[in-house]
Amino acid sequence: MDSKTVITKETKNRIQVDYEGKLTFKERMLKKLKTSNTWIKVVVNIFKFILMLGVSYVILFPFFSKIAGSFMSPSDVADATVSLIPRAFTLDQYKYIISDNGYFFHTNSQGVQLGAFFNTLFLSAICALIQTMVACLVGYGLAKFKFKGNGLIMVVVVITMIIPHSALELSMVRHFTSFDLGHVMATETTGILSTLTGSKIELTNTYLPFIILSLGGIAFKNGLYIYLLRQFFKGVPDELEESAYVDGSGTFRTFVQIILPLSVPMMITVFLFSFSWQWTDQFYSGLFFIGSNRPWVMPDITTAPTSLEILYGNHPVWSLYQNILQNTAGILIIAPLVVMYLFCQKYLVQGIERSGLVG
Amino acid sequence: MDNNMNLTTDKKSFSAMLKSVFKRRASLDARKARAGYVFVLPFILGVLLIYLPILIDSIWFSFNKIIPLSGEEAALGRIELEFVGLDFYTQPFADSTFTEQLLAGLQQLLFEVPAIIVFSLFIAVVLNQKMLGRAVFRAIFFVPVIISTGIMDSINLADQMSDSAGAGTDDGSGASANEIISVLDVQQLFASMKVGGELVTYVVGVVNNVYNIINYSGVQMLIFLAGLQSISPSIYEACQIEGASGWETFWKITFPMISPMILVNAVYTVIDSFTRTNNPAMNYIANIYDKAQMEQATAMYWMYFLIIAIIIALVAAVASSFVFYQRRD
Repeated sequence: MDSKTVITKETKNRIQVDYEGKLTFKERMLKKLKTSNTWIKVVVNIFKFILMLGVSYVILFPFFSKIAGSFMSPSDVADATVSLIPRAFTLDQYKYIISDNGYFFHTNSQGVQLGAFFNTLFLSAICALIQTMVACLVGYGLAKFKFKGNGLIMVVVVITMIIPHSALELSMVRHFTSFDLGHVMATETTGILSTLTGSKIELTNTYLPFIILSLGGIAFKNGLYIYLLRQFFKGVPDELEESAYVDGSGTFRTFVQIILPLSVPMMITVFLFSFSWQWTDQFYSGLFFIGSNRPWVMPDITTAPTSLEILYGNHPVWSLYQNILQNTAGILIIAPLVVMYLFCQKYLVQGIERSGLVG
Repeated sequence: MDNNMNLTTDKKSFSAMLKSVFKRRASLDARKARAGYVFVLPFILGVLLIYLPILIDSIWFSFNKIIPLSGEEAALGRIELEFVGLDFYTQPFADSTFTEQLLAGLQQLLFEVPAIIVFSLFIAVVLNQKMLGRAVFRAIFFVPVIISTGIMDSINLADQMSDSAGAGTDDGSGASANEIISVLDVQQLFASMKVGGELVTYVVGVVNNVYNIINYSGVQMLIFLAGLQSISPSIYEACQIEGASGWETFWKITFPMISPMILVNAVYTVIDSFTRTNNPAMNYIANIYDKAQMEQATAMYWMYFLIIAIIIALVAAVASSFVFYQRRD
């Protein structure tokens, strides 16, 4: 090293060095600006920023109009000059959807029950946890072990993604109203449960159908999670496990203590996917929650509240107002998701980065 | 003498060691295979014990007519089946509505898949570069993933329907996303250039549907982003040293390296576009299901699935011939 070189500042990844003939910051910037390359870079960056801003606007604008609409009273809806800022500000929509539609607490023939928020929270949390765990296990098994039928199972995973779930609607309802393991109605084979206990169980109006589907890795979009995690685990270098094996750790210990901590960001990504998709799920809750004693979940709050229907049912803009009520319900549905997303966001973006870190 | 003994025992132990090594090696593979089965066991059990029976019965129902029983039997939820063979499969083609809806769905697919893939790849490439507010934009682009399914989708759909029905609430302030870009301008722009009419209608369609396309490309964008980050920076470095421009780098490096993800996304987009509730054909079948003709609807769903499977096989076959795999081992 030159004797005239002096280290002025040293941090973990940066060293600031003073040497003879070093230009000051201003001089360096001026020199940089003289090259045409910098100008092109600046212009391209501004262009990119504006483009992204525009696309973000397209994504977010419906929310602005929905949020604005949710504070409007029917007189504002009728008034064509009111577009985004409500003139007669009201909280009625929120108030009545929460009280009449049972957002927090719901009253049915058996008294006061937990409302849509708590039921959906419980259901989504349980399903998302189980689905993430199962997808991790299956994805890891498919990615890291060679065994007979590995490729076949991967094909089955893709097939479960392709079959439209509405194709199984009818048969699924019948299977879960009288549930049995491995029972095929067409050939009248006796299932495992009937041989063991002698009877089938009715599972509708409970959370069990969701939990059973999640445990089997065949719930909504689980194929995608398995596929995603398989791709991720494939990217984890084998040397990590090999060194763990050499140190005498078993397969499962390696999986739990080495691989899982490494894949926390990716797991949070999958957890977030499955949580939010279960949270906004309409199809399966419509299938399994039937009758008046059903657990009250999110899709149930989208109907027009009765007290508002009594008030404005004959108003000329009632059909438009119903739309606003639906949007308000929509905001109430995704508000908790947004809060959760804000908590997980840090890990999620990291997860995207980490997931590809080791191709 | 002593030495000799030693040698023989050494030989013995060596062969024993050799044997045990080979034995252990075989058993290690077997053990690993066994461990693999244990890992995928939940899925195997789920498919064999729950999914397959549901699947078989669903196909079975589509060949049968359900006769609801009355009285006590009905209270128990019992049904009787009458075998009707392929009736439910031939019936939809008796009137042309189903085929029309199918074709409409296919048309939507042809239109959407390229648009979504190009758009999501473009956004992913931009978001992968360093830029101002990247973290915020990434967060915003995750939003469509949440809102394009389930209950939110149907709320949005109801909203759009009332918008297109000419609701009086929006007074040209751009409240409907379709009005963000003027279609007329695009038409004029293309009319002055000499390009085919099909391209003009395609571009106008894309512009019209910009809201849908952005909102349905959330998952694809995440997948692309993950794929882009798996490309080693050293390749780009080498490119820069060789003096490649950004354009060349994209087509010679990024595009081939991301091509497996393009295949994945093409397949996913086809699935997503077909099974979405606002697909004309899905909508039509769902309406039939709601009219209590469930067996009929199930049969149609299965036909629909077969068509999807064929299309996906086609897409995968075409796309996989372009896919470049980096062989590392």
